Amino acid sequence: MESSLLFNIATLAYLAAMVLYISYLAFRKKAIGWTATAITLAGFVIQTLALLLRWRESYQMDIGRVPLSNLYESLVFFTWSTVLIYLIVEFKYKTKAFGAFVMPVAFLALAFINVAGISSDITPLVPALKSNWLFYHVLISFLGYAAFGVAFAISMIYLLMNTDEKGPVANLFAGLGTIVVLAPIGYFMASQGDRMKTAFWLGLGVLVLAWFIYLIVAGARNKSQVFLFWSFCITLAIVLLVAMGIDFVYLVSMKNLAAGESYKKHMFESTFLNSSTPVTIVSWAAVLAVFYFIWSKGMGLKRLLKPYIPAQDLLDDVTYRMIAIGWPLLTAGIITGAVWANSAWGTYWSWDPKETWSLITWFVYAIYLHARYVRGWKGAQMAVISAVGFLAVIFTYLGVNLVLSGLHSYGGLN
Amino acid sequence: MENQKGIVEIFAEKVWKFFSSVKLAVVLLIILAIVSVIGTVIAQNEAPERYLREYSQTTVQIFDMLGFFDMYHTWWFVLLLFLFTANLTVCTLDRFPHTWKLVTAPLKPIDDDSLKAVPFKKEMIFSAGADKAEERTVAALKARGYRYVESRGPGSAQFMTQKGIYSRFGVYITHVSILLIFVGALIGSFFGFKAFLNLPEGSASKVVYLRNEPMWDQIMAALGIAESPVIHDPQVGVPAMPLGYYVRCDNFDVDYYIGPSGMPTGMPSEYHSTLSIFDLDGQKILDKRIRVNDPLTHHGITFYQSSYGTIPDSRGKVLLNVRLKNDASSAGETISVDPGATAYVPSIDRTIKVLGFAPYGMRNPATGEIVFYHTENDEYINPTVELEVYRGHGGGKPIYKTAVMKTDPGQPNMPEGYVITYRGYVGARYTGLQVTKDPGVWVVYTGFIMLCIGPLIAFFGSHRKLWVRIQDRQGQTVVLVAGSANRNRIGFEKEFNRIAEEIIK
Repeated sequence: MESSLLFNIATLAYLAAMVLYISYLAFRKKAIGWTATAITLAGFVIQTLALLLRWRESYQMDIGRVPLSNLYESLVFFTWSTVLIYLIVEFKYKTKAFGAFVMPVAFLALAFINVAGISSDITPLVPALKSNWLFYHVLISFLGYAAFGVAFAISMIYLLMNTDEKGPVANLFAGLGTIVVLAPIGYFMASQGDRMKTAFWLGLGVLVLAWFIYLIVAGARNKSQVFLFWSFCITLAIVLLVAMGIDFVYLVSMKNLAAGESYKKHMFESTFLNSSTPVTIVSWAAVLAVFYFIWSKGMGLKRLLKPYIPAQDLLDDVTYRMIAIGWPLLTAGIITGAVWANSAWGTYWSWDPKETWSLITWFVYAIYLHARYVRGWKGAQMAVISAVGFLAVIFTYLGVNLVLSGLHSYGGLN
Repeated sequence: MENQKGIVEIFAEKVWKFFSSVKLAVVLLIILAIVSVIGTVIAQNEAPERYLREYSQTTVQIFDMLGFFDMYHTWWFVLLLFLFTANLTVCTLDRFPHTWKLVTAPLKPIDDDSLKAVPFKKEMIFSAGADKAEERTVAALKARGYRYVESRGPGSAQFMTQKGIYSRFGVYITHVSILLIFVGALIGSFFGFKAFLNLPEGSASKVVYLRNEPMWDQIMAALGIAESPVIHDPQVGVPAMPLGYYVRCDNFDVDYYIGPSGMPTGMPSEYHSTLSIFDLDGQKILDKRIRVNDPLTHHGITFYQSSYGTIPDSRGKVLLNVRLKNDASSAGETISVDPGATAYVPSIDRTIKVLGFAPYGMRNPATGEIVFYHTENDEYINPTVELEVYRGHGGGKPIYKTAVMKTDPGQPNMPEGYVITYRGYVGARYTGLQVTKDPGVWVVYTGFIMLCIGPLIAFFGSHRKLWVRIQDRQGQTVVLVAGSANRNRIGFEKEFNRIAEEIIK
């Protein structure tokens, strides 16, 4: 298929753009900056062509459907939207500083598809998906996700720039210690059966939420806590990507997953849920090491980036604008989904996990907008809410399909 | 005595104040976001046995008591939604008069006092005289489509203008849309219903079986005001709702994707049923072939293709079409035959005997030989009918024996001057219909449309105000440009600077 070739070229272009944007930050040469933008633009055009070509190929295969209907296509489209929104931001704000943060997201998502060996076959649609709403629903939802993704990247920069020093080592030890204490408790409770496992996850969820709420409320005052949160988010992103990558190498490439078997049930089997205790312990030790590394090198990274990052007020403003674009898109995405559900099943809202999680995401960003408009919040607190919102987005997009089950189950990794 | 308020008034004021707080809104949003997670972790509305397999008896009892198995319909979750609605309503009512005043009040000339609150201002000495300044101001404003108002005093002139005042309503459109969605959902649960109907092919029903009874009927019946139309037959066990007409299933079928070999792949591409509506006197009103994503609506009740199944111990009739080979334009003749029985077809003077029916047959394209496959749950992936053809009204030896299948027109394998094709196998399956009535759905949809528009107006509209004051101060012309915007300040600042430049240049 020609479309796969074009997708690969686009992936390489994004890799080159990522390297160039980062070197642009380091060397500050105009030529590098323009090359980075040109290559990103070229990659974007190629990816657009690839999407259109894939659409045409589906017609040649007599399946004839929008290329937006399985995990492979949605990940490709997610990167496409992210790059589109990034290019708009670069053009509008005339700054190339964000490229070094956004392009890795686009490249990693595409690399994830390749490493993960997610099937790129054009498969026919199940009857429930055969509707014109599919196109609008997925298109709008993913543009919204991408806007939130860019907001998240910029919030991460904001939080780093907002920190003056990494704070007392006690903070780090509290963070590492929490992991060291909670992980064995989690394993023990999970071994006691499903109800204890559920209890553990609920308990952990409550703890994490309590921490988020504390950060949002006390965000402006306790900068070292906010920095810990920043390290946590970056660690989480790295660990999830790497762990899932190892999973795929181990499970898919080594054929440890029977054909047709769902990845859902085998998630993290090569790392955190490995049958061998030493592997599990090493995995967790690696998490601690990544956490420590991020936390201790954060300030160094800040010093390195400081001269090239726009003023904090601008970061705050761009984050807000991305959310002001993302939230109406998310709203329209939920609404088109509801109208579609009503025409397919006769009910516009059935509290299915995906619907509920998209509503939770909607609530988080609604909180962001009200805190800003009505209560006049700015700065670190808002960046934390934006980050929490994106965690909810990621869970809505991937977590629900991987962990929970429901009407959207066709989006799963199988 | 006049200032003393009654206890009711004080209480009402406190309640109003409580509900008009945005803090409450944020707290409620946080609580709603958190508790909503519970219902996504615990599977909803499953059979009790499944819960007992997953959780211990005590846990099931506790969860059941808290309503975690049908969380989104528990009294406490609905109460949270109501609190949220009340909060939204009061917040909106509380702030709207202020906005209305702001929108309707005429723009006032700016003075040194009110200037303090204006974020953008520039005061410049203008050497070309007051008339020139006025001329340029008017040109600059007109070029941008600002409609201005003039106000003149001794030795001073002011041009006042504003744009995008409608954007102040964006937030109200958004909030009202959410209220509309709530109201629409309430109308739906009071006056609508959700029901199901498993309708065997060839049979009709004038009732559907309710999953939930309309609340309005329940209340009216409980109060003794009106009798509920719902029929409670203890033998059926499920409450039935009369439709006021008959719905009949003529046919149900599953289509499968055709693979590269030209044979079905076993992956369904479409489920569809042909439904007919008859009035109670048996007069046919309409029919429609429904499929997933394309339901049938009659008198406010909508029928959705939802599931299907096999009726135990039942046999269907085979539908065959006979058409002359040299007459491609004719529709031919369709006959219905029981498996094992025969039918005489006058147009070709032949008798067809149906030997048997198989749900999944495939023809080897090279040899024409037919192979039968086993299918799960008797899915009709490629229904195949084996038949014999006799001369005249039958009797004697068959002329030939053949098989016809759904995906195979049979053309090259028909020895005589006509083609027999498969048209269906009817009567052994039922179609599962989801049946709903929701008179609130249009209110909800109105809310949806407003919810798409409202945030756009609120976020991307901007209420901009601009004043240009031209004053004569001891023979010098002093021009003051002042402005404010409630959104997109950075964009406004650029426009503001350009206007100031154009006047002063």
